[in-house]
Amino acid sequence: MRTPRALKAAGLVLAAVVLGLLTVQGTYALWNAAVNSNAGTVQAADFRVSLTDGPTNTSMDMTLADGTAATIALSTTPIGVVVPGQSVYTGVQLGNATNAGGDFTIKAGAGEPVITDTSGSGVASLLSVKAVGADALAQCTSAALYAGAQTTASVSIAKNASKVLCFQVTLAGNAPGSLQGKSAGISLPLAVEQL
Amino acid sequence: MNKMAKGAIASGVGVVLLVGGGGTLATWNQAQTASMGSIVSGDLNLEVNSATNIGKWTNAAGTVVDVKAYKVVPGETLTYTQDLKVTLTGDQMAAKLAVTGTGVNTTFLDKNVVVAPTTIKDGVKAIAADDVLTPSVNGHVVTASTTFTFKTSTDARDGAGAKSYEFGGVGYKLVQQAPPAPNSL
Repeated sequence: MRTPRALKAAGLVLAAVVLGLLTVQGTYALWNAAVNSNAGTVQAADFRVSLTDGPTNTSMDMTLADGTAATIALSTTPIGVVVPGQSVYTGVQLGNATNAGGDFTIKAGAGEPVITDTSGSGVASLLSVKAVGADALAQCTSAALYAGAQTTASVSIAKNASKVLCFQVTLAGNAPGSLQGKSAGISLPLAVEQL
Repeated sequence: MNKMAKGAIASGVGVVLLVGGGGTLATWNQAQTASMGSIVSGDLNLEVNSATNIGKWTNAAGTVVDVKAYKVVPGETLTYTQDLKVTLTGDQMAAKLAVTGTGVNTTFLDKNVVVAPTTIKDGVKAIAADDVLTPSVNGHVVTASTTFTFKTSTDARDGAGAKSYEFGGVGYKLVQQAPPAPNSL
């Protein structure tokens, strides 16, 4: 069967129209020009505070890798015992180890000490704690530093700087001899906030 | 002389006659040039005006920061600005300038950050996405700006360490609007 000439022509015209439409479809748009901002990515800084115990040079981050709060054991000077009416000293160095791009000052504070008897020793009620801020751990053993000090203290720490919280622990002068060799535990809650 | 030779001679005579009468066939005539001149296209373009501001982040103090290395903390606001040069010529030219794309909050908590929509200003005059620009702004350098705020209400250690907000998808587009007279081409 032969295809009529007219039908062939119609098919040819249709194909030409379709091809023409396909060819020019990109030209329906008007002029336009685009620019990318190249603004990049904003990144958050780290909130990292280091704790250092001077005598042992033990150091750790205040927040552990799992997000929980760290606990650091502080050594006293003199190490070991405290006699009635006298004091021992300790301190913790806090470092503002942030990688913030701008200013980032923090306030580190020691809260009310929690003193607990060890095995019902009865020592806790005869211990008192004073806290004060300082620039270096070496200052903590100076009794004069604690003149007028309270039970709590705080220090401001600039970016990449460090400060010290010093503590004076005093055993009351009227502590009975029966408490010899007894002990108590002192817990000092530390909190740091951005200023 | 055969028929072929006779035909060739006749054709030759005819041609000679046509050539000989070439100047005599015209009657009166006059010519004028159309004076149509040339049609010149307009232009539309949008480009970073690197001469004034290729794009920079500044902190609240106005200090330019390298965002690749800079780390933000709660309470900070960073602002990105970029100058764009608009080319818009053509008697019937009209175009709209719009911001394309938005920042993508990859890891910050939504409650801790605020990103203001990007704005574009021609001097002090804000250009809205629906504003139709004409060649009156041709050559103007407009400024696009975006602000990122790490909210002071951020609590605990929210957002601390390795959180990021991606602005790579933000762009600007100048799009011509169809001339008032319909043009089907």
